[in-house]
Amino acid sequence: MQVKVLSAKFDIPDANTLEVAKKHGAYATLDKIFAMQPEEVTEIVKESGLRGRGGAGFPTGLKWTFLPKDTDKPVYLAVNSDESEPATFKDRYILVRDPHLLIEGIIICCYAIRSHAAYIYIRGEYTSQVKVLQAAIDEAYAAGYLGESVAGFDFQLDVTVHRGAGAYICGEETALLESVEGKKGQPRSKPPFPAVEGLYGCPTIINNVQSISSLPFILANGAAAYKAYGTEKSAGTHLFGISGLVKKPGMYELPFGLPILDVLEQVAGGLRDNRTLKGIIPGGSSTPVLTAEEAKTVTLDYESMAAHGTMFGSGGIVVLDDTVDIVKLVENLIHFYHHESCGQCTPCREGLGWMLKIVQKILNYEGTMADIDLLLELCDNIEMKTVCVLSAACTMSTRSYLNKFRSEFEAYIAHSASKHATM
Amino acid sequence: MSDRSQLIETGQPFNFDAQRDAEFERLIKRYPSRESMILPALWLVQEQEGWISAEAMAYVADRIGTFASKVYEVATFYTMYHLQPKGKYHICVCRTLSCYLLGKQEIVDYIIEHLDVRPGEVRADGLYSFEEVECLGHCGSAPVVQINGEFYENMTVEKLEELLATLQ
Amino acid sequence: MAEKVKLFVNGQEVEVESGKNLIDAIGAIGIEIPHLCYHPALGADGNCRLCLVGIEDGRPPLVPACKTRVAEGMKVQLDTGKIKKIQQDIMEFELINHPIDCPVCDQAGECKLQDYYMRYDAQPSRMTVKQVLKSKKLDFGCGVVHDQERCVLCARCVRFTRLITKTGELGIVNRTDYARVEIFPGRPLNNRYALNVVDLCPVGAMTSQDFRFKQRVWFLTKSPSICHGCSKGCNIFIDHNREKYKDDIIYRFRPRHNEKVNGYFMCDDGRMTYKLENDNRLLGAMIDKRETGFNEAVEAVRRELSQAAKTVILVSPNASLEQMYALQQFAGTINAQVSGFSDGYIKNGDGDDFLIQDDKSANRATFHLLGIDDTRAGFDTAVAGADLLLSFDNDLSLSLPQTDLDQLLGQVKLITVGSRQNDFVTKASIKLPVASFSEDSGSIINCDGRLQRYDAAVIKNEPMPSMIAAINMLGGGIVSHQEAREGLQANVPKLKDIDLDQVPGDGIALTENEVAHVAA
Repeated sequence: MQVKVLSAKFDIPDANTLEVAKKHGAYATLDKIFAMQPEEVTEIVKESGLRGRGGAGFPTGLKWTFLPKDTDKPVYLAVNSDESEPATFKDRYILVRDPHLLIEGIIICCYAIRSHAAYIYIRGEYTSQVKVLQAAIDEAYAAGYLGESVAGFDFQLDVTVHRGAGAYICGEETALLESVEGKKGQPRSKPPFPAVEGLYGCPTIINNVQSISSLPFILANGAAAYKAYGTEKSAGTHLFGISGLVKKPGMYELPFGLPILDVLEQVAGGLRDNRTLKGIIPGGSSTPVLTAEEAKTVTLDYESMAAHGTMFGSGGIVVLDDTVDIVKLVENLIHFYHHESCGQCTPCREGLGWMLKIVQKILNYEGTMADIDLLLELCDNIEMKTVCVLSAACTMSTRSYLNKFRSEFEAYIAHSASKHATM
Repeated sequence: MSDRSQLIETGQPFNFDAQRDAEFERLIKRYPSRESMILPALWLVQEQEGWISAEAMAYVADRIGTFASKVYEVATFYTMYHLQPKGKYHICVCRTLSCYLLGKQEIVDYIIEHLDVRPGEVRADGLYSFEEVECLGHCGSAPVVQINGEFYENMTVEKLEELLATLQ
Repeated sequence: MAEKVKLFVNGQEVEVESGKNLIDAIGAIGIEIPHLCYHPALGADGNCRLCLVGIEDGRPPLVPACKTRVAEGMKVQLDTGKIKKIQQDIMEFELINHPIDCPVCDQAGECKLQDYYMRYDAQPSRMTVKQVLKSKKLDFGCGVVHDQERCVLCARCVRFTRLITKTGELGIVNRTDYARVEIFPGRPLNNRYALNVVDLCPVGAMTSQDFRFKQRVWFLTKSPSICHGCSKGCNIFIDHNREKYKDDIIYRFRPRHNEKVNGYFMCDDGRMTYKLENDNRLLGAMIDKRETGFNEAVEAVRRELSQAAKTVILVSPNASLEQMYALQQFAGTINAQVSGFSDGYIKNGDGDDFLIQDDKSANRATFHLLGIDDTRAGFDTAVAGADLLLSFDNDLSLSLPQTDLDQLLGQVKLITVGSRQNDFVTKASIKLPVASFSEDSGSIINCDGRLQRYDAAVIKNEPMPSMIAAINMLGGGIVSHQEAREGLQANVPKLKDIDLDQVPGDGIALTENEVAHVAA
């Protein structure tokens, strides 16, 4: 099932160094792209069907065309390497095992969008990874792949690593921009969209590490070669992170469209201790949970996920078996989203803390049935009332557990009722 | 999240050392706005001192030419900035989702019991400080522990014991 | 006239000013969209989410009204169940961690949370878990006291210090519901407009050390007036109250919106000049440091005037247009010279490029309009050979060096007519108390040539005569403000087309071609 498009060099020792990377084809597309017009590069990317790998799945080439034509302002590229969504760890492999793939992708993208400055926003937690990435960039500068004249062509490009410092919200693209500008990571109201008014008020494209790293393959082999993988609407391959209660968790590159249960069995080795499947979080902690029953018909692509009332998300799959206490899991998730709320919008700032305390109250056997309904109502009251979708990430997932595993919440409450009755 | 607004004043003026000074000057050329240096400068402070004092924040603000309130906002917003001195070994245990599912609590309990340090605290002798942190992005090799920036994957109490023995 | 656009609010067609956001445009025709973080002077931040409205056929269907400009044909929904539910929900979120300490909160009675709770929420609390606790009674400097628990994090105060004063003392630290407004340690509020954050704060999170616990605001009468603290003439409310068995006392000045003068703000110094209206007032007539009846003192002054060989009338640059005119007329009848010498009222370099002016007097512009000389040279010429100096509320000790003043007072007899006590007044042989500006009406012209009108706000238990009445009693011909205004209009060419009885609320610009302005 596994393929090697993005991960071609992942298992090659020292592929993070320029020498080894070059030996295996790094920077080979540059001659080709600099012989083209930037618009032609964009056209190929559009044709490839590449969709943003950060979670939203927006077509990458199309996004680039939203830049204003004939702007006299500089255009920026911000590479989103903040991957902070729990269960997501795919970009880390690129940063550490094949950083030159990312740098090559950045050169391709910047050429296409006529940008001469790219910022890689890497999450602060990637303390050792940032060193590998920076070393690769330093090597690329030294070898002339970055700087005044990229690979000897008449194209100047600077790439700067900007480290986050512990804030999930900076994965939201406008919060990321704020952070690069030296501010708290508080998302901006849209419009204006970053393509028109982004970093420093200038047109800006923000792309995920994996999206950018897909470009060398597409430019080297053509759109059709990329589209040969995956499904019609979900073209190509994806780095799936499989974690949770499976035998062989890890990062696997797979084409889109495979049945999720086949992948679980054949790639991830099936459930630990031969337990029973309880549910699957399909694309990072924010995506609504699938029950074991629902999982039977789900395939790993944007369309199938949507048809099952959830989202493809970041491709971070978490497997839950029958030992998992859903109420405690929900507490863990709301704790995360509350902790990461930027504090800007009232409903998210105040509401997530309230939700967390209600779940903790249920866990402490002090809850009532009304608390379950209040939680559900709060999900509605918070969702989509805020500048960004952080709160929705929390409420959409929480609602799915409350609806699909309500009996587990009720069991806590029944227990608390009997506890109080005997007191 | 806890309240991070209580800053510690050392009573000593802060200055970058020569290495950080040079790095500051190198980086500032990469940004069209000086304020973009707030996060990198705070990292430089933390690299140099291990933590960020009120004086260091004021220094960063004045060096960049911005309001101290903005540096204060940033330093308290981003939870990886240490606003108090840490132990010689700063241990972060990921508490989120996959690490939770795969038994991070046993590791947390072990640290509290055997290392005698609670989340958010520094042990009296200064050897260890300990934090439970949100997702560290190593879900496929959960549970994960980060000590002084190095990741230790597929952690168990036994492996932690062995590791700590090498870190005295 | 501003351009208009037609749009629909709750299905009803309305006409509003174009170019504005929904809150301001629709608000101007009396339809309220609740909001906490938006303020016209600070722009739209969009953090409170209380102003979310529906736009029919719009994408997205919900928008913050503060960030949405009116557009022709726009269909705005404010009264749907969905919008009402959102308003109720946001209010619930605002209140779950808010301490319900209204009985000891200065903001009670003028609090947006109180008002909006009644209008948009009105449901019992569903909060059964522990509230977030934060710090209270924080001294933020400049007389501003902060309560983090009452704060709704609208960031108006933060934006004020960043956008308006550009001093940036305030920030919102932490994130989540731990977020709070703070000053950086050792760098408290340090700007001359700091107390505006108290007015800007929609709740009781920012209070004034000076005003705290002095009055419940619903007892205060809020009378419009003009600040006399400098020549800017910021529009203010005089908030005053007569408690039972007490006198009418002023408790605070607050800025009153006038886009043409001060916008929404005023400086702290000006704000504190309310104390001058309450304290150190000259309360009774005195002859040679002996209290006496007002009429007796008037008789004494008239005697002095009739005996004096040469009288100089010294007028204050704070006197109103009407008062100055009455004095000029009076001077003519007694053949006295008039001087407005008051250099000491000007603090060179003290002003800024916002509101604060070097000139700490309110109406020097009228000197120039009426041809009253205010130079030292003119004053020296006037007092040469004079034996009587009649000062109308002009504190000469501010303008003359001590030795010069002593020398002058050795030469002339000093009589003062004024509203307050000071070292200079102490030296007068006769003192006549009159009403201060808060108890009187008048017109003043500010540093930008804008003529503004104020009316009496405070009515004291024992009202002092107005200065015009006092001048009249001393022999001046003008009996009333009305008569002064008629005289001004008849005799001052620049005022001939201005109806001083009908000065608009935002004043009149007296430029070189003021007539054109008035006509428009």
